[in-house]
Amino acid sequence: MRYEEMGLTEGDFYSRNFEKGARDDTLILNLGPQHPATHGVLRIIVEMDGEYVIRAEPVIGYLHRMHEKMAEGRQIYQYIPNMGRVDYGHALGWNWALVGAVERLAGFEVPERAEYIRVITTELNRITSHLLWWGAFTLDLGAITPIMYAFDDREQLLDILQIATGSRLTHSSLRIGGVCADINDRFIEACKAFIPHFRARLPMYRDLVTGNIILRKRLEGVGVFDADLLRRYGASGPVVRGSGIAYDIRKAEKLSVYDRFDWSVAVRSEGDSMARYLVRMDEMEQSLNIVEQALDSLPAGKVMMPKAPKVTWAVPKGESYFAFEGARGKVGIHLVSDGGKNPYKIKLRSPCFSNLSLFAEAAQGTLLADALAILGSLDLVIPEIDR
Amino acid sequence: MIETLFEPLPVLCLGKCDPARTGLAWSVFLEAGHLRQATEILYRARYCLEDITAIDAEEGYLGVYHFDHMDQPGRVALRVLAAHDAARLPSIADIFQGAEWHERETTDFYGIVFDGNPNPVPLLLMPEMTVHPLQKEPGARAKLADVLAVGEIVRREPGFDLIPPQAAAGSGSTEA
Repeated sequence: MRYEEMGLTEGDFYSRNFEKGARDDTLILNLGPQHPATHGVLRIIVEMDGEYVIRAEPVIGYLHRMHEKMAEGRQIYQYIPNMGRVDYGHALGWNWALVGAVERLAGFEVPERAEYIRVITTELNRITSHLLWWGAFTLDLGAITPIMYAFDDREQLLDILQIATGSRLTHSSLRIGGVCADINDRFIEACKAFIPHFRARLPMYRDLVTGNIILRKRLEGVGVFDADLLRRYGASGPVVRGSGIAYDIRKAEKLSVYDRFDWSVAVRSEGDSMARYLVRMDEMEQSLNIVEQALDSLPAGKVMMPKAPKVTWAVPKGESYFAFEGARGKVGIHLVSDGGKNPYKIKLRSPCFSNLSLFAEAAQGTLLADALAILGSLDLVIPEIDR
Repeated sequence: MIETLFEPLPVLCLGKCDPARTGLAWSVFLEAGHLRQATEILYRARYCLEDITAIDAEEGYLGVYHFDHMDQPGRVALRVLAAHDAARLPSIADIFQGAEWHERETTDFYGIVFDGNPNPVPLLLMPEMTVHPLQKEPGARAKLADVLAVGEIVRREPGFDLIPPQAAAGSGSTEA
């Protein structure tokens, strides 16, 4: 269909742009931006030959709030809460990337107890993020029940995180030089009660969902990513660990106190959607191990560095890059400062942005149902993509 | 590793940085005409594209390309200057396909045109927008030498004057 030739003015800029070069016998369809399976306001224009996706183009920006401009318009301390809004799924991961970039540039050292608290809360946050992903992904595939169980566990965790960070979701509890407050006995008791409870739930999830023949048929062999594809698009996180690449920044860059605990990087070699699914299930277990060990060996001490910067403190001149292993992949903060009141520039490197960019190539020639399985296996949070 | 990989490449300024202070292992200034060759070297050496962005400075728009390696981590920053009144850089989207989106976003925010980008339409901003939000007011721009992490310079083109010669061996961000 040549809309222009037919004198039709349907669609918008992006569908007209996509429609150039379309075949005559295909259907062009909008997936989203309102759609239960696109996890936020994501729009994907697809060209369909029957049930098969010939071409796909994600159209993003529906949730763009220009966070990078906000960084230039406020002081660094005022920018920490923005991180929770960039990615509400793993807010502490983004918090850490930002304060990490500042601490790296300024040469600040975080007290040991604060590092442990950062690790504990960030790993609990990772579990909440993976639970949300798991519930939403199985919902996309047509299973309506797992999300209820996932949210049951997740609600308990959000209440626990609220004790330590003050928020259930958009955490802003990390500070430049430490954390905002010390954890108390109530938090520690709640964590210690949660760990065995969740350990007992995971086998049930494995038996009822992971081992379910329908799930396996939907995911096994679907969307195999090879290492070359992943490098060309800069993919990271469970997306690369599902293809046999054992790259986890917590180990690769020896971040914080992660090397003090006995845990392993979750890797699978098949490279299909099932592998990415299993990597995240394994990661929840590993995060639980880390939290348990961290609670057992929690050192005493302060939770903020001595002579910590005040709220009006300005970042010294210079440039730094800090990457953290968020739930979805490599979160990067590129910080440039001219010594002025506000940062000169902050580039937010979003893992989902790079992971989604490979979808157009990965979805070519797949069944629409498989394309959605691939999309869900990427674990996308759209506010992180659009920023 | 980068020192050997970039030996055949005419770099403007190659600096070894301190990852603990800057997050970078290498900082490489290039002419726009050598960007693609550098990118191909990195692709063959199995580097991954992390991101592409720009810094609006007094001297022009500095395109910054971050690459990292999953087997032997060590971040490389390629730096290519484009003039304010002729803000064009060659696209690397045919080598690293992920660059398409990063370049489109940089065009949205800074107005730099990437020649050869396969789909040069706005990514995040509305097609009707005429402003590029991250461009700085001319009076508010900083000098690149003041803000960048250039590391300990190990190779330098004689005519390269963007970064002044180093008095003593620095190992990371320039101190105020």
